[in-house]
Amino acid sequence: MTNSTPHNINRRTLLRSTGIIAASGAVLAACGSSSASKTITRIGETPEITKLGDATVTDVVLLRTAMSVETMARIILTDTTFASLAEKTSAAVVAGFARAHTAHLTNLRSLISSRGGEAYEEPNEKLMASYGTQALGLVADGKNPDDVLPLTLAIETLVASMYQYFVSLTNEPALRASMIRMGAQSSRAAAVTAQLINPGIGAFAPGVDKDGVATVATLPSAFGALNAVQVQLGPVNPETGSRTTVSMDTPSLNSFIY
Amino acid sequence: MDNHQVESPESSVTTRRRLLSALVAGGALASAAPILAGRASAAGDGTNAPSRDPRDNNALNNALAREARMVGTYRLAVAAAAADDEVAGLTLILDHHIAYVQAIKGYLGPDAEAAPETPLSNPSGSVKSMASSLAQLEDQTATIHTDILAILSGMGGAKIIASIVIVEARHAAALSVFSGLTPLAASGN
Repeated sequence: MTNSTPHNINRRTLLRSTGIIAASGAVLAACGSSSASKTITRIGETPEITKLGDATVTDVVLLRTAMSVETMARIILTDTTFASLAEKTSAAVVAGFARAHTAHLTNLRSLISSRGGEAYEEPNEKLMASYGTQALGLVADGKNPDDVLPLTLAIETLVASMYQYFVSLTNEPALRASMIRMGAQSSRAAAVTAQLINPGIGAFAPGVDKDGVATVATLPSAFGALNAVQVQLGPVNPETGSRTTVSMDTPSLNSFIY
Repeated sequence: MDNHQVESPESSVTTRRRLLSALVAGGALASAAPILAGRASAAGDGTNAPSRDPRDNNALNNALAREARMVGTYRLAVAAAAADDEVAGLTLILDHHIAYVQAIKGYLGPDAEAAPETPLSNPSGSVKSMASSLAQLEDQTATIHTDILAILSGMGGAKIIASIVIVEARHAAALSVFSGLTPLAASGN
C-alpha cells in the first residue's frame, strides 16, 4: 500500500495534461500563417466589432432613391441597342415614356432641394447590378424587336410599384400624393404598353392563348401589386427551349440611396 | 482505499441564484423588447405615422362615396354593352370598383357611412364612345383619391388609397386606348 492517494495522482495528472495541452497549443499557434492575423486569438477574447452607422429612411432618402430608379429607367429606355430594335410606332411611344422619366427627375430634384437634400443623379447601382445590366445584355444578345415592349412594360410597372411602396414609408402626407402622381403616370404607361402588346378590350383581363400560355393583361389585378416584376428576354436557350427570366424588385433597405 | 464523496453544498444555491438571475435578466429583456423593436422599426423606415387616425374617417368616407358611384356607373355600362369581350372588359373594371368599396368599407368598419351607388353618368351608345367618358371618370376619381392621400394621417388608409390610384390610372389609360386615343396621349404624355 502506498501513501499516494487517487486525489494526488489525479491532481498531478491534471496539471501535467494541462501543461502539455497549453504547450501544444502555443506551438500550433506559432506554426499558423502570419498573414491571417498578427495577433494570436485567445480564449475569452473577441475581435472588436465595428458597428454600422444608423441608416434612417427619411423622405429625402426615398426621393433620392426614386431619382436613382427613374435614372435607371431612362437609361434602359434610351439605350442605343434597345431603342434601335424598337419598331417605328413603339419607338415613338418608348421615347415618350423616357421623356416622362426625365420630367419626373426634374420634379424629384425640386422636391429634394425644397427639403434641404441633395439630388442623386446616378442610376441605382445595386439594381443595375441585380437586373438592369442583365436585361440590357439579354436584349443586345437576342436582338429581338419583340423584347422592346415587354421590357418597357416591366420597367413602367416597376416604377409604379416603387412609388406605391414608398407611400407606405413616407412621413409627409403631401409628399405621398406627389409620389403617387408620378407612380400613376408610370402605371398609365404600363397599361398603354400592355395594350400595344396585346390590344383590345378582351385583353384587359388575364387570360391564356390557344396554347395555354398566359397572355399580357392590361389590368392584371384590382389593387396595385408590390411583388417582383418578371420578364422573359434574350435569345432562346437551345437546351431548355426557354428564354431567361429577369426578376425586377423595387428598391429596398439595401438599395436605398441614403 | 477511501472513497470521498465530493460534496458541493454551494451547487444548489448557485443554481438557485443562477435561476433567479436568469429570470431577472429574461424579464428585463422582455420588458425592453418593445422599446428595442420600436427603435429597430424606426431605423428600418422613417415613418412615424399612425396606422390609423380617426381624423381620416371623413376623407375616407368621401373616397368610399366616389367608389360607390363608380360602381353604379359601371353597372349601367355593363348593361349597355353587347359583345362578350366588351361585357367581360367592363365587368372586370366594375369588379375592381366593387373591391375598392369593400376595402374602404372594411377599413372604416362601423365608421363607414352609407354610400349609395348613384351613377355619375349614364353611359350609352357604343362601348368605344362609352370608354372615353369612363376614362375621364377614372381620371377624376384617381385625382380625387390623390388629393385625399395628401391629407391622410393614418398609414393603413394611405396604403389602400395608393394601391387603388395605381390601378385606376391603368383603367383610365386602357379605356383611353380602347376609345381610340393615341398611345402617348392615353399615357398622359
